[in-house]
Amino acid sequence: MSLVVENVSKVFTGPRRGLFGGREDFTALDNVSLEVKKGGSFGLVGESGSGKTTLTRCILRLEPLTSGRILFDGVDMHGLPPAEMRRLRSRLQIVFQDPYASLDPRMTIHDIVEEPLVIHQEVVKMSGSQRTERVAELLLQVGLTTEHLFRYPHEFSGGQRQRIGIARALAVRPEFVILDEPTSALDVSVQADVLNLLHRLQEELGLTYFFISHDLGVIRYICDEVAVIYRGKLVEQGAVADIFDRPQSDYTRMLLSAMPDPDPDLSPFRRPV
Amino acid sequence: MALLEIRNLNLSMKSYEGETQILHGIDLKIERGEIWGMVGETGSGKSLTGLSISQLIPTPPGRYLAGSIEFEGRDLLKTTEREMRALRGRHIGMIFQDPTTNLNPVFRVGTQLVDVALHAGNADPTVLGLGAGASRRTLRQAAREKAVEMLDKVGIPKASERIDDYPHQFSGGMRQRVLIALAMIGKPDLLIADEPTTALDVSVQAQILRLIYDLVTERSIGVLLITHNLGVVAQICSHVAVMFRGRILESGTVADVLKRPSHAYTQALLNSVPTTHTRRGELKGLGGLSPESLA
Repeated sequence: MSLVVENVSKVFTGPRRGLFGGREDFTALDNVSLEVKKGGSFGLVGESGSGKTTLTRCILRLEPLTSGRILFDGVDMHGLPPAEMRRLRSRLQIVFQDPYASLDPRMTIHDIVEEPLVIHQEVVKMSGSQRTERVAELLLQVGLTTEHLFRYPHEFSGGQRQRIGIARALAVRPEFVILDEPTSALDVSVQADVLNLLHRLQEELGLTYFFISHDLGVIRYICDEVAVIYRGKLVEQGAVADIFDRPQSDYTRMLLSAMPDPDPDLSPFRRPV
Repeated sequence: MALLEIRNLNLSMKSYEGETQILHGIDLKIERGEIWGMVGETGSGKSLTGLSISQLIPTPPGRYLAGSIEFEGRDLLKTTEREMRALRGRHIGMIFQDPTTNLNPVFRVGTQLVDVALHAGNADPTVLGLGAGASRRTLRQAAREKAVEMLDKVGIPKASERIDDYPHQFSGGMRQRVLIALAMIGKPDLLIADEPTTALDVSVQAQILRLIYDLVTERSIGVLLITHNLGVVAQICSHVAVMFRGRILESGTVADVLKRPSHAYTQALLNSVPTTHTRRGELKGLGGLSPESLA
């Protein structure tokens, strides 16, 4: 399993300027190419509006491409008929950014985590009681307990909700997990626990991660490879250590220097106390 | 006399489930020229401390059980709402976290700036560079000039043109700058910034921090910077207070607290921050520290 993004461009057409006016195009992705290797963690860093989320939406085929190809295991995803695409989606799951908005407040944790198993019935083929067993197993795997099964999302803290989101993504045993800023809404202490959980799950289940973040520290911690995206273009990509220790482009250098380090001696404006 | 001195502040909040004590004996002293960072996790009481200073917590449901907040020797808990109005905006400025909800979308940015400038100018015309007894018309004119000057100062290009734009025509970083301009226009002595950069990109964050830092050096004001980002604190603050469940666990100069934390919680918090040189498996989180052992 590997994911190859080949020369992908995505252009959004703007509104018509006046009755006879032309439309203004916005290029969200400009000739983006990258490759995510099996079992690795690929990080995508960029600021808001740089096209990170558009790229994930394209990978999930929630957005048609303007040009280019996205190959999952050698298969061009955007050319697949809908039924086969649905089958493929069971191998490709996503954890969303906002743990408060991505869980349905009217569903119990059991129903939330079970839902992908029901949707992908033809792939997983489980009976109701088997599904409940699987849900319980998943909750344990992400550090929750079975007594949480029939509670509702509002009874959980942000970190616990994100664990539920991770359990849901893992339900159908995907190979490829997209993590769209999974920790940006969490406190640093909780973030540390969730990041360590992601590490552990990757080792146990052999997952491939596609990790999106604007936090360079998080990317450095979780990823082996990284691509820096700026205004829809990949500025730089390579091994994490190379990019962080020897950044080639000015933009990456700027991002790295703008990242606040918790060591007061490294501050650009340390005032004498 | 300190610019701001909080002594033994205790605050409780009423809800349907009864009364809960939120702040347990907060002590904090801010002098001019100091940037105090207040760090802590969600729900630790950082924001409520900030809101208490500007007296923006409605009572009820809030209730101050004990303590005092002295601003230049005056106990804010005992001032009337009328007197507080004269202080807010003019002597105590506030910057809030979310620039999208704190600007009124139906008014031009300039209108909102002029409003605040006029409010400060009515209390004290010298803020706008005018003598006492200036006519309303000259006040209004001076307020607009001041608004343009402030927008320019916070780094909005072509301030005199952009002043007539609406908030939606500005980007997130620019809106945050407008909020800073709003807070600074009355030349406050104390600035309370509640997560001013949390919603922003790192590059914009660096610019905003630079801006706040320069304002402090230039005018020697006192700042209380509420944040959960230890990196931001390490960068610009001179002092820091670590909050946990309504208490200040530890406070002092940034070098003392962040370099040689005396409390296990501060150390645990520092160990949770991924930096560009943290290796895999090095992040600890709060680990074995239970909330009960810390309280």
